[in-house]
Amino acid sequence: MQQEVDVAVIGAGPAGLAAAIKAKEAGAENVVVLERAESLGGLLDQCVHNGFGLLYFGEDLSGPEYRDRFIEKAMDLKVDAEVESMILELSKKREIKVASNKKGYFSLKPKSIVLAMGCRERTRFNIGIPGSRPTGIYTAGQAQRFVNMEGFIPGKKIIILGSGDIGMIMARRLTLEGAKVGAVVEILPYIGGLIRNEVQCVHDFDIPLFLRHTVSNIHGFPRIEGVTISAVDENINPIPGTQREIDCDTLLLSVGLIPENELSLMAGVELDPLVGGAIVDEARQTSVPGIFAGGNVVHVHDLVDNVSWESEIAGASAAAYAKGEKMPSRKIEVTPGKNIRYIVPQFISGEKDVTFYMRVKEPDELVRVKMDDIVIRKSEMAVKPSSMLKIDVPASILRNIKKRKATVDCVRIKEK
Amino acid sequence: MGICETEVLIIGGGVLGAATARELSKYKVDVTLVEKEVDVCCGSSKANVGMVNQGEDCLEYRPEYHRSKLVWDSMRMMEPLCQELEVPFKISGGIGIFSNDAQRSKFVKMDSKAAKVRKMGYDWVGPQEWIDQDTLRKMEPNITRDTIGGLLEPHAAVVDPMKLTIALAENATENGVHMILGTEVEDISHGVEGFEVRTNNGSIKTRFIVNAAGIYIDKIAAMVNADDFVLYPVKGYLAICDKKLGGLINHAIYRIPLMPGELNVVLPTVDGNLMFGITLLEARKGDLSSTKKMQDKALANVQGLLPDIKGSDVIKYFTGFMMMQNFELGWHECVVDASKRVPRFINVSIGYPGISAAPAAAKEVVELLVKEGLKLKENSKFNPKRKAIPDFSEFSDKEKDQLIAQDPRYAHVVCRCETVTEGEIVEAIKRGATTVDGVKHRVRAGMGRCQSGFCRPRVIKILARELEIPEEEITMKGPGSRELLYKNKELLKGGE
Amino acid sequence: MAKKEKIICVGCPMGCEVTLVINEKKEVEKVSGNKCKEGHKYAIEEYKNPVRILTATVLTQDSSQPLLPVRTDSPILKTKLKKAMQVLVKVRAKPPLKTGDILIPNILGTGADLVTSSNLLS
Repeated sequence: MQQEVDVAVIGAGPAGLAAAIKAKEAGAENVVVLERAESLGGLLDQCVHNGFGLLYFGEDLSGPEYRDRFIEKAMDLKVDAEVESMILELSKKREIKVASNKKGYFSLKPKSIVLAMGCRERTRFNIGIPGSRPTGIYTAGQAQRFVNMEGFIPGKKIIILGSGDIGMIMARRLTLEGAKVGAVVEILPYIGGLIRNEVQCVHDFDIPLFLRHTVSNIHGFPRIEGVTISAVDENINPIPGTQREIDCDTLLLSVGLIPENELSLMAGVELDPLVGGAIVDEARQTSVPGIFAGGNVVHVHDLVDNVSWESEIAGASAAAYAKGEKMPSRKIEVTPGKNIRYIVPQFISGEKDVTFYMRVKEPDELVRVKMDDIVIRKSEMAVKPSSMLKIDVPASILRNIKKRKATVDCVRIKEK
Repeated sequence: MGICETEVLIIGGGVLGAATARELSKYKVDVTLVEKEVDVCCGSSKANVGMVNQGEDCLEYRPEYHRSKLVWDSMRMMEPLCQELEVPFKISGGIGIFSNDAQRSKFVKMDSKAAKVRKMGYDWVGPQEWIDQDTLRKMEPNITRDTIGGLLEPHAAVVDPMKLTIALAENATENGVHMILGTEVEDISHGVEGFEVRTNNGSIKTRFIVNAAGIYIDKIAAMVNADDFVLYPVKGYLAICDKKLGGLINHAIYRIPLMPGELNVVLPTVDGNLMFGITLLEARKGDLSSTKKMQDKALANVQGLLPDIKGSDVIKYFTGFMMMQNFELGWHECVVDASKRVPRFINVSIGYPGISAAPAAAKEVVELLVKEGLKLKENSKFNPKRKAIPDFSEFSDKEKDQLIAQDPRYAHVVCRCETVTEGEIVEAIKRGATTVDGVKHRVRAGMGRCQSGFCRPRVIKILARELEIPEEEITMKGPGSRELLYKNKELLKGGE
Repeated sequence: MAKKEKIICVGCPMGCEVTLVINEKKEVEKVSGNKCKEGHKYAIEEYKNPVRILTATVLTQDSSQPLLPVRTDSPILKTKLKKAMQVLVKVRAKPPLKTGDILIPNILGTGADLVTSSNLLS
């Protein structure tokens, strides 16, 4: 397959599909999307729940419905899609080596690349849960695949650690499938996912929700038989004397997502330690020229609609790069200030409108967001680390930034 | 199984049992190995640090210890053995580091002891080269700045203990050893001619027994009053870091511990991960759980060697046991002996450092069997070589092409973290893997940073397809560990 | 006698706990705890008509795909979600099916149809 490729997109989840479509629409002739799984769509395959597309299409779609709209468009536009194609090597010079179930081992050298590998779930070992090491402990996404695609229910007495969206959605799915969800346990004082999911997935089914608690021990071997949950102090350490044991045959973990950047690192792409994803500019170009990135591989989103939009930027830029167009300069570095954990993109030219995505460090109410002391969001009722803030800033404002570095702060409106 | 008869019965499919089986397969003798788990390498040999050396200890390098000699001999046997069996083996070298003169003086003591050992003819043993602070920083730029120098042990090596054990067992089987898995010895009685071993699957008549039952060596020996030794279980906790950190060190880095067998080491594994761990005195046999205290202590220890490691770099931790003598008094000796009370019954347990002593220990077990009356004639058909399962990720571009041309399933990557293909997984199943762990131990599917988040459903599917059983019958490691308990909609039938 | 009903607003990340005072005629008398107008509107609507879209899967027949994603084409009362699952148990989806094909019309008399939310190929 040593054909001329303009844009190669790595990953055919919502990010990759959107990027490939946009690249094609922006005039790239040969666009190939490489997917390691068996089908296109990434995690949308197993997200049978609704809530997708409310912003992008103005419709309440299920994951497969949202997926199919993009797949159909990609097919109409004749995007070349390769499934069961795993990239083994990616170089700074954009050489790609692929192992493909159908086409064997081949290499590609596209004019530009979009990284759209998405993210993976934190495991029990990443967060260091002590106890025995039995089977019956799954990440929420893994369980979602078993329940929604493979046709199996991992167990009937379920405990869920972490209140990320997939965890809460699995609480509802498993309850509806006849399993008993004994508890959703969250170490923080607030839930990790959307309020909508807390209400419709947890409260609707009277599932006990333990905030400021964690799983402090795992019992049973070779299959899990129970967990100990404990209240935690302000340093999130278990408080002695607060333990209670709960029987279960399955423990699901929804304890965070990590952008999947192993290939990015292989290509020498610089990562933002605050995010775990590539440092990008407003065109979603990474530190390596010709390599772009979009979606959860850049930073973990809470809504797929934003993943699609962000990746479209990357796709359009990759097409422009392939055509030899000039890329925006990295004139201004945008850095997180007061109560901002991270902000994307990290570099802007100051010449074009930019949509910024950011997350706060701590929940707060009645706040505004400022960039280099210019107000970019007048007021926000409430902000939470689990809800991404998306702020469109017109070029007319950005042109006023005279420094090389602009700090973004999220502060109370009433503060001076 | 009913009743089967054999000349030599090996109890235990760990590294010692498997090495003994392979050693015996060099002769024309009827050998059976019985293992209670559904696969070999399910106990201490699995939860092993995989270092091949005497140990990082000033109490080591003592010729009067039986185990010392076993280690020194094994160190020279290990590399050719790994070549024959195509098992990953790497000479990493080890550096003992010290931060003050008091610590240095312990190394001086160790160095002089090791020098004496080398004078006995064991040139490859022990630390041999003093390194000053500047050189150390050049050799290992990422280790703690809190050092004044180090002592280099150039021959220290690392091996994949699981692949070694499995390869030994595979090669033994190819050469005629009969393997009985998933079968637990429940009782042993002996008469004049031999033993009758009762298991949960029937009985085995045998003339000789090699008791290599790992942490249950005492339980098995006690069945025939052959427990003429004292061993205590000592628990070890080990953690593996993301491969991203693999390049942080070039050698195994250690400090001299206070107790023999007490770990204070971080090492690069053969697969390019970093591994570190601790040993613990308080331990209940068989309790494989870890505690937050262990995890925190191990992390604090390793940060004293390699400050850049963070808790979130850990992708997996586990515990294992070794059987030790008088650990608390500061010394340990192995058991590789014919029972003094029961003829034709050999007990074999190395404890620490287990893998490092296995090849020589197996040879010695065979010698002990001969002394006890076993007649051995050479097996002229013995094939010492065993082909490894092709490791696609390690192949060159050309080799990858060839492999895929032979079998296109090698182009289908199933485990993305470790780049394990369907071809490798199918081959692992052909060679005896029947569980998710069995596949993992043979080809590393699920051993990477996502810990099988992506590949587990796919591995279960392939296992079910190849073994021709339903997916819900696939287990992690045998009875009691089914992965998927119910079929979709099964829980709703007859529900509300 | 008046009754109190607590409803968490899902309109924004604040998640206001809105308290409704309900009179004997089951009418909303008072709304409090919301910090904006949207919260007021949401709480009353959620009290009067707590509906959800049901999403699930059904078993398939004659397909390599063991399950087919399904949904209701409009929201149904949340109290009927579990009952609807009992109806789904009996369904065996046979290919070929296209997204939006009706599997169960007017499920449990809710007025909503149970439809496929993905294609099913043979």
